Amino acid sequence: MSNAPVLEVEQLVKRYRTVTALDGVSLSIGAGEIFALLGPNGAGKTTLIGAVCGLVKKTSGRMRLFGTDLAIDPIGPRYQVGLVPQEVNFDPFFTVSESLRIQLGYYGRPPDEARIREVLEALSLEGKADAQTRALSGGMRRRLLIAKALVHRPRLVFLDEPTAGVDVELRRELWDYVRKLRSEGTTVILTTHYLEEAEVLADRVGIINEGRLLLVEDKRQLMRRMGEKRLHIRFEVPVEALPLELAGAQLADDRRSLVITERNGHAPTGAVLAALYRAGIPVQDVETRASRLEDVLIEVLRGRGGGA
Amino acid sequence: MNLSGLKTLFLKEVRRFLRVPGQTVLSPLISTTLYFVVFGVSLGGRMEEVTGQPYLPFIVPGLIFLGLANNAFLNTSSSLFIMKIQGTIVDIQVAPLGPWEVLLGFVGGGMVRGLAVGLLTWAVALLFAPLQLAHPAVTLLFLLGTAYVFSVLGLIAAVWAEKFEQINFFPTFVMLPLTFLGGVFYSIARLPDPWRTISHFNPMVYMVEGLRYGMLGSSAFPPLLGGAILLALAVASTAITYGLLASGYKLKQ
Repeated sequence: MSNAPVLEVEQLVKRYRTVTALDGVSLSIGAGEIFALLGPNGAGKTTLIGAVCGLVKKTSGRMRLFGTDLAIDPIGPRYQVGLVPQEVNFDPFFTVSESLRIQLGYYGRPPDEARIREVLEALSLEGKADAQTRALSGGMRRRLLIAKALVHRPRLVFLDEPTAGVDVELRRELWDYVRKLRSEGTTVILTTHYLEEAEVLADRVGIINEGRLLLVEDKRQLMRRMGEKRLHIRFEVPVEALPLELAGAQLADDRRSLVITERNGHAPTGAVLAALYRAGIPVQDVETRASRLEDVLIEVLRGRGGGA
Repeated sequence: MNLSGLKTLFLKEVRRFLRVPGQTVLSPLISTTLYFVVFGVSLGGRMEEVTGQPYLPFIVPGLIFLGLANNAFLNTSSSLFIMKIQGTIVDIQVAPLGPWEVLLGFVGGGMVRGLAVGLLTWAVALLFAPLQLAHPAVTLLFLLGTAYVFSVLGLIAAVWAEKFEQINFFPTFVMLPLTFLGGVFYSIARLPDPWRTISHFNPMVYMVEGLRYGMLGSSAFPPLLGGAILLALAVASTAITYGLLASGYKLKQ
């Protein structure tokens, strides 16, 4: 994975009449990474993608794609970009394969039937190549959008809610395909409401809210830093006193259960259980729950642990 | 310039209207044929000669103009407007297509449809009136120029319109009156004042008369004047459309 930035955004601002959709966003995305941009509805995710892709007029700031300043050359870098828009759209006049041929032509590529077949197979649309786009189901139309974004082999792909309305099995197939794209050196910028998707796929995560980028961090580092593991222990009988090693822990009111929160590897589960065992306290049940990206997102949006 | 992108957009526009030929070509052809039957055959027999021509051949250039201008306009306006409404405009906005590629791709498609309807109208006219082509080069120039100008105007209307009602505004409230008052069915020279003077401010008059000169060999105005007006309209409408597309007016948020 090369570290040369594919996309650089500096102090990007987008203001509508009364709303500031992007408020000085700065971001750098390296080649071959999967970057998940997360945030609540209206946070500015789609506006940011739109500004880079030429759908939104910026108010101020700089954007560079593949090293080219978009204010100087807004067209050239776009040969290497693909976008799956959030809103499903389709041209009812054309078939699936015609739509892909048109897409290839827009990007200066000759008709490439092998590539069209490959993309259709990857998205389980091979049986629909000659179908009219208006005859496709909602999920198929979304997959066609993904096929259109990928058919010209872009080096940077924006996936704005790519799997909304797509069934679970196909969603997992898509994840595999996104990983394959990364292995081929394609950079992927992803927004999604399925945080599991970001958790599974992303190398880095950016959290945006009210137009401000609150955090950009390596996903594993972020989970280590802000993630926590809650250890819920239920005892067979009420416990009079906890062993010294667990002095800071608080028993429940009925003295039959204990919850210990593990952060950054402190108070590991094994050590807690060993201490209870040594003290001869009979344990009835142990339940652990690790934080998910969703919990981290909520924490950051509440103002904890941010700072891009 | 992205020539592949331009060619793709142009061919897509042509294929789009050919997918629904009943609506895009046949329907306007039937309307124009009815004009021939009603104005030419039914009423024309009672009309005396107009500028030295029997009435039916006299209205042929005007009816060709009518079909050509309307359909060139409708192709670009409906195509871009529907793309805006359906969201498929994203495809051409994200793609490496600059203002020129978008302008020429759409306008090329509109010209093909306009010329197809115009030439088919001419073919239908041959059932009612003999072929007349006094100045082929002038005729070709006015056919191409008219198709270009109205295609570009259609694009401007599509960029500006936000509702279906607005997209119908221009053809209903501007093009229709100007066309019908533009000497399609009568000679401007025969109008009493002040209507004759007022008609001189209608640019459609010069386009119809230019085509009439090319086909019939005579017209109410010198063809050079018509050509100059057509050229001025082409330059002005192109400059406006380029500016709209480059700025993203009503296309980008």
